Amino acid sequence: MTIRAALRTAFRGAALLSAFAVMAWPGSAIAAEPPAKPRRIVSLNMCTDELVLRLADPEAIASVTWLSQDPRNANMAEAARRIPANHGLVEQVLAFRPDLAIAGSFTTRNTVGLLKRVGTPLREFGVPRDLAGVKAQIAEMAALLGEPERGQALIEEIDTRLARLAQRIGDARPKALVLRPNGFTVGRGSLVDEILTRAGFVNLAADLGIDNYGQIALETVALGGADILILNTTEGGPPSLAHEILNHPLIGRLGDRLRLVALPSKLWTCAGPAVIDAIELLIDATTPPRDQRSPR
Amino acid sequence: MTSAATAIAVESRSRYWWLVALLSAMLLAMTAISVAVGYASLDLGAAISDWLAGRATLPALVLVELRLPRALLGALVGFSLGVAGAAMQGLLRNPLAEPGLLGISSAAAFGAVVVFYSGFAGAFLLALPLGGIAGAMLATLLLYALNGRGAGTMALILAGVAINSFAGAMTSLALNLAPNPYAALEIVFWLMGSLADRSLAHVWLVLPLMLLGWGLLLSSATALDGLTLGEDTARSLGFDLGWLRARLIGGAALAVGASVAVTGAIGFVGLVVPHLLRPLVGHRPGRLLLVSGLGGAILTLVADTALRLLPIRPELKLGVVTALIGAPFLFSLISRLRREA
Repeated sequence: MTIRAALRTAFRGAALLSAFAVMAWPGSAIAAEPPAKPRRIVSLNMCTDELVLRLADPEAIASVTWLSQDPRNANMAEAARRIPANHGLVEQVLAFRPDLAIAGSFTTRNTVGLLKRVGTPLREFGVPRDLAGVKAQIAEMAALLGEPERGQALIEEIDTRLARLAQRIGDARPKALVLRPNGFTVGRGSLVDEILTRAGFVNLAADLGIDNYGQIALETVALGGADILILNTTEGGPPSLAHEILNHPLIGRLGDRLRLVALPSKLWTCAGPAVIDAIELLIDATTPPRDQRSPR
Repeated sequence: MTSAATAIAVESRSRYWWLVALLSAMLLAMTAISVAVGYASLDLGAAISDWLAGRATLPALVLVELRLPRALLGALVGFSLGVAGAAMQGLLRNPLAEPGLLGISSAAAFGAVVVFYSGFAGAFLLALPLGGIAGAMLATLLLYALNGRGAGTMALILAGVAINSFAGAMTSLALNLAPNPYAALEIVFWLMGSLADRSLAHVWLVLPLMLLGWGLLLSSATALDGLTLGEDTARSLGFDLGWLRARLIGGAALAVGASVAVTGAIGFVGLVVPHLLRPLVGHRPGRLLLVSGLGGAILTLVADTALRLLPIRPELKLGVVTALIGAPFLFSLISRLRREA
């Protein structure tokens, strides 16, 4: 290696370092504008994947996350499998030369920072906490993708289904409790709470004073006086320690005295249009006599 | 002269059995308290009478399916950790020997993680504890090979650090390769150790393996006493040292491996308890085994009951509580060792 080459390498290193230093500076982010109708969309989050897959032209989607290709986790897995996957890494994303990158507010933060820095048009989406927020997010996403009519159609479909489901709710307000992996339950002020209310249930966790997400001991589940226990399962999922609690022998024996309803996690992990399916499933499960399957 | 020595021996033996009886009584009381303490208010009397009458009422279910397994597992795991700690300290003739510090627990966790996430645990029931035991066995053999006989503290701790970090790295690798994308997240909680919401199935799963381990460890009490006289003297007294080591290593691996497989890693029990009890049994490693087991069970149940009574929700992890108790203890032990050196 000649001296000049060595110097050049050193210079490059210094340039790279200063580039990183600039990147670390919060004010340096450039908000680039995406085109009105983007044609190379890259989504970096499983939940934005679902909306993009529902709203955009399949040809306009350059890449979605690998998580969305697993039908056990994602609702649009079939469509996602026809599209190249990414793992949320900057290099992967840039290789698709996106004219719009979409990320979640809480994931792939480093990637988001670097993409902003290199001037990739980027939008972030949070997690809605109620149904109104879900619809607002659909409208926002549809506008961003240049497909406002599709967004409008999806929102109208949701409203129609909600109205139809509201008519099926009886006067009896059964007490329901959600049990999620790791012994978590969902209380007041969450989308799940609204789902339970729309399905005609009283959320017992809210009465127990749990706000948003909270852990609940199995003995409280057993002695809490619930009429319905909603088990948040992943059918046929890989081995998972977090799900062990849902297979506790006590839960099987509780099945004699209260109703167990298995609800696949993917219907409401993402606060997307699939939450309507969750409401429908809950109403189906409690409207006798059809569909009384007990969980695994 | 001889009669005086015999009198002292008889007196110390009767003191030993008094200690065992006292600890057993405390263990029974602590088990009862652990059953009585919980998150939901439970009418114990009604629950017990329902259970005895064979009525599967909700209180009876909670008692049998939740409270009882938690108390039993606490006692079993605590006993295993205590007796294994005492045995390791006797075998390596080193006061810092403890399953957690030496990496046996993390190697057991590695074994259990591999078995769990590869799906073997679903295939046959005993796979999970057997995975833990295999990991623990591997670490114990490795420790012994690295240290040989009468290892110095430094070499022992270094070997423990090496095994701990290697087992930790291999666990991370196994989690990377696991088919479940959330495996790494789940394991963080599990590795901290907990007795929450275990079932009777877990108790039946580990009980035979633990009993076998305890049997191996407790049966080596006399030989362990002989070993304090030095290896040559012990050999000349007719103790088969190879067989002794095999029993201690196998027994510790069975007890610790099975414990870690169902409750995660609970540290420091095997370190603190033998130290507290050693002066009470006249510093005899053979007698220390049984009392350390009982003491370990009591300590684990106390910690598990305390974390349920503390107003912190979600509850603290059991491994965190034992570490909060044990870490200051370890520091004081190290400073004492340094002063003596």
